[in-house]
Amino acid sequence: MSTPARIARRFLFNVLAWAVVLVIAFPLLWMLLTSVKPSSELFVIPPRLLPGEITFEHYRRLLTETPFLTYLRNSAWLAAGTTLVVISIATLGAHSLVRFSYPGRERLARLVLFTYLLPSVVLIIPLYLLMAGLGLANTLTSLIIAYTTFALPYALWLLRSFMKAIPDDLESAALVDGANRMQAFVDVILPQALPGIISTAMFTAILAWNEYFYALVLVNNDAARPLTTGVINMLVTSFNIEWSLLMAASVMMSLPLIVVFAFLQRYLTRGFSAGAIKG
Amino acid sequence: MSGIRFENVSKRFGGVTAVDDLSLEIGSGEFVSILGPSGCGKTTLLRMLAGLERPTGGTISIGDRVVNELAPAQRNIAMVFQTYALYPHMTVAGNIEYPLRKRRVAKDERVRRVREAAAVLELEALLDRKPRELSGGQQQRVALGRALVRDPAVFLLDEPLSNLDAKLRTHMRAELIRLHRRIGRTMVYVTHDQLEAMTMSQRIAVLRDGRLQQFAPPRDIYARPGNDFVAGFIGTPSMNFLDGRLKGTGSGRTFRSGDLSLPLGMLPLTDEMPEPDRRVRLGIRPEHIHFDRQGEPARVNLVEPTGHETILVFDYRGNELVARMDGDIAIEAGDTVKLAFRAEKMRLFAAADGRRLNDDSTA
Ligand SMILES: Nc1ncnc2c1ncn2[C@@H]1O[C@H](COP(=O)(O)OP(=O)(O)O)[C@@H](O)[C@H]1O
Ligand SMILES: [Mg+2]
Repeated sequence: MSTPARIARRFLFNVLAWAVVLVIAFPLLWMLLTSVKPSSELFVIPPRLLPGEITFEHYRRLLTETPFLTYLRNSAWLAAGTTLVVISIATLGAHSLVRFSYPGRERLARLVLFTYLLPSVVLIIPLYLLMAGLGLANTLTSLIIAYTTFALPYALWLLRSFMKAIPDDLESAALVDGANRMQAFVDVILPQALPGIISTAMFTAILAWNEYFYALVLVNNDAARPLTTGVINMLVTSFNIEWSLLMAASVMMSLPLIVVFAFLQRYLTRGFSAGAIKG
Repeated sequence: MSGIRFENVSKRFGGVTAVDDLSLEIGSGEFVSILGPSGCGKTTLLRMLAGLERPTGGTISIGDRVVNELAPAQRNIAMVFQTYALYPHMTVAGNIEYPLRKRRVAKDERVRRVREAAAVLELEALLDRKPRELSGGQQQRVALGRALVRDPAVFLLDEPLSNLDAKLRTHMRAELIRLHRRIGRTMVYVTHDQLEAMTMSQRIAVLRDGRLQQFAPPRDIYARPGNDFVAGFIGTPSMNFLDGRLKGTGSGRTFRSGDLSLPLGMLPLTDEMPEPDRRVRLGIRPEHIHFDRQGEPARVNLVEPTGHETILVFDYRGNELVARMDGDIAIEAGDTVKLAFRAEKMRLFAAADGRRLNDDSTA
């Protein structure tokens, strides 16, 4: 089976794959290495990849001398809150779009996509005024609401395609077996949709975690700033960029995402193929 | 008391009429098949009975209760779906137990009844498996088990055997008949397979385009088809039809098609001919054709020996005619023979609406 030509092809494929990985991973690696270099080593010429001496000073300063932890907590609340709100609404909404028949159902589903045509810049001023009017300006709640406006349509659309893959007969069977609609949803639809819900939740959390623009405009006090705007705000000024701290902050911002990915990656790839069995 | 009554039931999906003004009465404990080609509304009919689909018009009763407004859970029915619809995340035991859990049956009672159903269906060894780890036949038995376990008044089965291979299908047919005898519950069995309907049912409802064509015991469906659709749908190879006109009256009555003329004097008609020269279809089953020196000449186009019988295709005055004859017949394509029909077995249908015209007193 493994002729020389085959082996050569495999080899070439592997080299290419690793080259791509390297190109993508290099900036991350650079970020990690920079964050543990003493500041004095940052700008040596010629540049050196490996630090001469490893220091965690930047991490210590970031955690003790700056509001980093406050931002981290805010980001965590934002990601969790947005995900909770979006997933609760989108799961029920997607179920409705797939299972119930009512006039305008398809149009409604397509209208959801239509919201993507509006750039967020268009929405931001009205949103700001709305939040101010509600007395929510400068709060995490205002950001959760704002994030929901763009994450919800996306989540609805994604979950709808997951739920479409669940055979109608499963729910029918549950109804005949004595469940009411809500029980059928909880007992049969939810477990089937779970991989889809998890991956949608991941996408939503990442969207919220990385969001910058709304946070910049809607919040301007440290108590409610998330990491994205907070870190830039405190470390990047017109006069100076604190590169070491910035890199340390970036590492710590990426860490939760990497951990989440490591544990839940299979849900991103699986799930779409999750259908019921047929003889 | 768990008979079923459909009264003028219709179901429309947008512009599509899936079930059209259908009335049907099924006796308590009866095994009835709903038979018809794919897309004729069988599943829709069953789903309305189960409460999964709301009729556009008409009333459905189970026992003495009109169930139109009742949720599926309140109808005391069980249903086996064509796709089986097993819950993929539950084990076999979990699947069978689910209807009991939803009815708040106590734990040890549930365990006992799951074990009982599993024993009947020989599923004991599989109770801890997930549905995806089962073969088609095993999944089918689990679906049956889930229906059996709570002893419902009515069983609905939607083409439960269509996903099985031929051998298993024959086996399960016998199993289902036995099951029906044992539990004596009303069973409504949907199928597009006439063999299943003919072998299993006490009565068959033949459906076409959402309309009921005939509701009768298998023997009658075969021998006294209500119209030309039922006549052509039941039986393999299907009934031969010749289109022509009815001439003469009384014992001088004949069937004319081109220069073919067949005497029909001995076939009593259901009604006297309202118009002269009426257009009719003459139906004759393949097994009612035989060689006869006095018959009409026909050319053999095709010989298909199956062993115990031979299927012959003739050119009979420009019409294709299929006949079923002995397995050891010596005949070849290209031969010319003379054919006659068993006169008392011929069936006459109105060309206009397909209704059967000859009475069944001689059948
Ligand atoms: N939910 C539905 N929406 C629209 N049309 C439907 C729906 N269910 C069935 N139909 C239509 O109704 C007709 C009968 O379908 P069905 O009852 O599934 O037929 P069968 O089970 O005999 O194959 C078909 O024309 C089908 O396309
Ligand atoms: Mg069907």
